[in-house]
Amino acid sequence: MMRRVAIAAAVGLTIAWLAAGPAAAAPTGEVKIGLAAEPNTFDPHLTVGRNTQIFIVNVYDGLTARDAEGHLVPALAESWKRLNPTTWQFTLRKGVKFHNGDDFNAECVKFTLDRAINPETKATVSSELGTIASTEVVDPYTVNVVTKAPDFLLPVRLGELYGLMLSPKHTQSVGKEGIATRPNGTGPFKLVAWTKNEQLVLEANESYWRGAPKVKKVTVRPILEDAARIAALQTGEVDLISPIPHVRIAELKRNDKLVIKTIPAPRIFHVTIDVRKPPFDHVKVRQALNHAVDVNAILKSLYFGFGTRLATVVDKGALGYDPGVAPYPYDPKKAKQLLTDAGFPNGFETEFDSFTGSIADHAKPAEAIVGYLQKAGVKAKQNVFEFSAFGPRRVQNKTSPLFIYSIGDAYLEPSWVIRWMTQGGLGMHYKNPKLDEMLTRIEATDDPKKRAPLYTDVQKLLRDEAPFIFLFQADSVFGMSNRIDYTPRPDETQWLYPLGLKG
Amino acid sequence: MRTYVAARLATAVLVVLGVSLVSFLLTFLSGDPAEIMLPPGATAQQIAKFRADWGFDDPLFVQYWRFLRRAVHGDFGNSLRHGQPSLPLIVARLPATLQLTVTAMLLAIVLAVPLGVLAATRRGGPIDLCAMGVALLGQSVPNFWLAIMMILVFAVAWGLLPTSGRGGIAHVVMPAVAIAINLMALLTRLVRTTMIEVLAEDYVRTGRAKGLREVMVTARHALPNALIPLVTVIGLQFGFILGGAVVIETIFTWPGVGLFTIQAILNRDYPVVQASVFVLATAVVLINLTVDLLYVWLDPRIRVG
Repeated sequence: MMRRVAIAAAVGLTIAWLAAGPAAAAPTGEVKIGLAAEPNTFDPHLTVGRNTQIFIVNVYDGLTARDAEGHLVPALAESWKRLNPTTWQFTLRKGVKFHNGDDFNAECVKFTLDRAINPETKATVSSELGTIASTEVVDPYTVNVVTKAPDFLLPVRLGELYGLMLSPKHTQSVGKEGIATRPNGTGPFKLVAWTKNEQLVLEANESYWRGAPKVKKVTVRPILEDAARIAALQTGEVDLISPIPHVRIAELKRNDKLVIKTIPAPRIFHVTIDVRKPPFDHVKVRQALNHAVDVNAILKSLYFGFGTRLATVVDKGALGYDPGVAPYPYDPKKAKQLLTDAGFPNGFETEFDSFTGSIADHAKPAEAIVGYLQKAGVKAKQNVFEFSAFGPRRVQNKTSPLFIYSIGDAYLEPSWVIRWMTQGGLGMHYKNPKLDEMLTRIEATDDPKKRAPLYTDVQKLLRDEAPFIFLFQADSVFGMSNRIDYTPRPDETQWLYPLGLKG
Repeated sequence: MRTYVAARLATAVLVVLGVSLVSFLLTFLSGDPAEIMLPPGATAQQIAKFRADWGFDDPLFVQYWRFLRRAVHGDFGNSLRHGQPSLPLIVARLPATLQLTVTAMLLAIVLAVPLGVLAATRRGGPIDLCAMGVALLGQSVPNFWLAIMMILVFAVAWGLLPTSGRGGIAHVVMPAVAIAINLMALLTRLVRTTMIEVLAEDYVRTGRAKGLREVMVTARHALPNALIPLVTVIGLQFGFILGGAVVIETIFTWPGVGLFTIQAILNRDYPVVQASVFVLATAVVLINLTVDLLYVWLDPRIRVG
């Protein structure tokens, strides 16, 4: 463990040094970005929605971070280790300063985490940080974080997701409402102006500890309508946009002034099966459903091929994803056979919930899936809800036996996803002691390299048990003018530090 | 007159209250903010705890009463999403919406009046046919479709106007046209019809008989009388204009009340929805009242009983 951390730290330092090298030139130029949504706040504890969490990181730093490939790397913490099952120790980076000049140290970590778990903060991220019991300052650059139960994910939680560090002095002086629009982080950019619904202006933090970013000014405009956002890129009003509907990719790729980049987003589409209710308690029925749906055809027709077929609910970018675990092939004959074997030669009637108005389109794939199920004899009636009306249905466990959903694997860690999907609530009722045992063993393994291979058996078990109809992950799409240089990250984070201008 | 205004204002309070109650119920019956506010991966227990912490699990009338008690002091509560007082958030967006809607309204009037008058005075001729064609088209074109077509033509293909957002005068052109088009069509038809009626009146014949030029007859004697019903219709249409602004502001990311409200509704950010409903309902009620009073002033024949 120690050795791994030491290596990680060395690699981190090298990266920092490399980054500092060429970027030592002063930041120049301006890049304009058009996004579908802007942050709701710059208060890291009151963020609502992924669109905020993936953006405000540009102003802050977490104790850990991810590199371009999605690996966990040091950030404000140079190294970390588990002292005992419920205590993680973080050794902090020295000499880091907040935008206003305040020093970053162990007190800041304690202040930030105490604030996050204080009920008075009413933190929206409390569900992800509720695992923390207390934070203790060991010395100015060492902190111990004690968790209520063993939590192998703590270093990821305290990274760019939920571990953005605040300056105590600033936070106290501007107050709860002030921090929403006047953040003071250690990150590569400072927020210098923000008119909600209009634009947000970031300016390079020239004394950033990784080295100054390449671009001096970044202007972000929310452009909600897809057509208007694409138009703004085409006319050169903005240099970078996301998202772009898959249907427009081919056309935009023909424009030689533009560069279109796609990357698999860690959003795992699946159909939850209520395994408690007959006939879905029969494993052959669940396997039949998986054989009945032609997921590749759905990817081709609805996503124009910009997506990845998944064998289970482990996404391609996640730790331990095993391409050797093959997905169910589309085989309507086999589906019928399995249904007959299970005692349903003429199929059966059921209901299928779907919804509109969430972050991604679920209604269209749902329609296609229902079509395939009907072909196989499963007469599913499709219900379509507005997303915020579907939520309470899940909370009250009133969902139909089948419903489409997707979960963003923000942690890139299958156990986090699978634990959530087998929680016994929100319409998800699959339980398997053997699976639990496997996950518990994985969660006790701190070294990702040792943890990764353990996931292969998990994926095999999930595929064979088929508690879900396994679907796909769709690509995120970024469009940019050819004057800028930007590589989207596999975990969806809109990390603008490496953003540069060409030539 | 004074009792009339007082009675109308009292009704206005009831209307605003009623609209607020209905929107409150709709916001909550159709969804719950709790799940939207938590990160993905929150479990059923965490959602339940969050709802309890924020008071979302109290009976609806308790929540409404709690809201109302604060609202009478002008405190609509903090936006769940933005963490800031919701009324100032909405008020800060009023200028943008007023700029858009007033521009759209002026545009509609400036185009509709001459077009309607020309159509009426040259009834059955080519100009009339054209005007009625434009009116028919204007009333049947969906404004969101028109908005996107304009973006593609005027911004992308010809590069004449900015694609979206708010800035200089150029930014307001496309969204204002998109909103104005339906109203313009409606007003053109209205002006034409009333003009035709007015032109058949005795005093118009008298004017002509005493040798006034046709332009004078139309502009001085006929038009002012034809415009009276226009005032009422414009007043009544203001609500629809605001409704149109909600759609158009979203397409153009015009930073007004409409866009902000739509986002608040989708996020079940009920303090903002309530503040917005209050501001918009009050605006519509006040404008209707103003129009009624204006009507009395414009047309001395009308007396309030």
